[in-house]
Amino acid sequence: MKIAQTKSAQLALGIVSFAAILLGWEAVVRWGWVNPFFVSQPSAVAASLSRAARSGELGHNVAVSFREFVIGYGLSVVVGILAGALAGRFRTVEYSLDPFLWFLYSTPLIAFYPIFVLWFGLGVPTVIALTFLLSVPQIAANTLHGIQDVNPGLIRAARSFGATDRDLLWKIVLPASLPAVIAGLRLGVGRALMGVVVGELFGATTGLGYSISYYGALLKTTDMIASLVVVIVLGVLCTQGLSALEARFDSWRVTD
Amino acid sequence: MVDPKFTSQPSRVIAAGFEIIRTVRFRHDVAVSLWEFVIGFSLAIVIGVPLALLLGRSTVLRYLLDPPIMAIYATPHLALLPIIVVWLGIGMQSKIAVAFVGGVIPIIVNTVAGVRGVERSWILAARSFCAGGWDVFLKIILPGSLASIILGIRLGLSRAVLGVVVGEMYQSQAGLGNEVMRYGSEFRTDYLLFYVLLISLFALAATSGVRALEEKLWTPGK
Repeated sequence: MKIAQTKSAQLALGIVSFAAILLGWEAVVRWGWVNPFFVSQPSAVAASLSRAARSGELGHNVAVSFREFVIGYGLSVVVGILAGALAGRFRTVEYSLDPFLWFLYSTPLIAFYPIFVLWFGLGVPTVIALTFLLSVPQIAANTLHGIQDVNPGLIRAARSFGATDRDLLWKIVLPASLPAVIAGLRLGVGRALMGVVVGELFGATTGLGYSISYYGALLKTTDMIASLVVVIVLGVLCTQGLSALEARFDSWRVTD
Repeated sequence: MVDPKFTSQPSRVIAAGFEIIRTVRFRHDVAVSLWEFVIGFSLAIVIGVPLALLLGRSTVLRYLLDPPIMAIYATPHLALLPIIVVWLGIGMQSKIAVAFVGGVIPIIVNTVAGVRGVERSWILAARSFCAGGWDVFLKIILPGSLASIILGIRLGLSRAVLGVVVGEMYQSQAGLGNEVMRYGSEFRTDYLLFYVLLISLFALAATSGVRALEEKLWTPGK
């Protein structure tokens, strides 16, 4: 009962908060306190969005960005989990992979985009490469930690009951490290989105990030904010989706 | 076997480094970037930590501000770059703003989590020994959430560095990101790599410094 009340209070206040932001934003522009050139206004942004949706521009940009995201992030999920699992199993792999992970993790990879353009060409392939390189170290590192943190008591117990390597992998290591892996996937989504948007900001000719920077260069604030709103909504949806997945896979775990 | 235009080579990068370090322009660039980072990130700490302490203590305020903060947290903060440039121009202010936005969100999110994670029984115990609101705050909540605050600072730091560099790459007149952009578009890979390595080293050193601080605070027996 108490929890239900808290939940609905939270929801209500969240809605109030967004409504207040939108109304306040519209009001300060309507009353002429702020120049709409700088901040536009919600009604104009909505009009711009519906215009872009009808002309197909919005659909096209979302499709391009989404495809880049899916390919780049998909690759990094496969490569990251594989690399992390191998590094978790074999010490030599871990030691040889570690410096690369650290380098990828701490370098402003976006700085390499001119070289990427030289290697892969302007546009989609460069954005996919950036997306992949930004998200893969996060996923690999989390997978590695998940596997290393498996309770050694469980492994010893299984071993003493005659479990083979394959049994260990499927019945102990995989289920026990799954929450860490999924947390890595969630954090990787944020970095992959960053890769898509920033890659498009600099080295693309279409997509949501490109349209933000394109309208920005033309000082068309309304259209720029419309694209930004779409990016924010997609970002929230992706992150929420993986948080839900995380909660689902973590629910069996008994906290101590 | 490989064209040095595509990958350069270590000896060239080192040579380029020696050449760059001696120029006056380099010192100016470092000063500009460092200054942008320091101001933006200090603002993020000075505004983010008190705001988050407040949010952690007040449920109504948290429910009100949580959704917009989470929305910004889920968005790549660099997507805000073009609009910030429209608002603040191509000078240092826009990079300071990007560094601030990048740094402040992880600080807020982690500090709020830290405040909420403080043992309730400690607060109750202090209260029953007649501690006032201020005492509880200074002696229990602040020390109890310090580890999370520093974690937030560490996570925000790399995002702030990225904000400065990418902000300078996007639109600027000076700074390390500006040089990255210039040499990148001239395909001077050796110069480009020197600057990129310099930035990575800075981010790595700063992050390791905060991590060392974190470990010091976490050592048992304090």
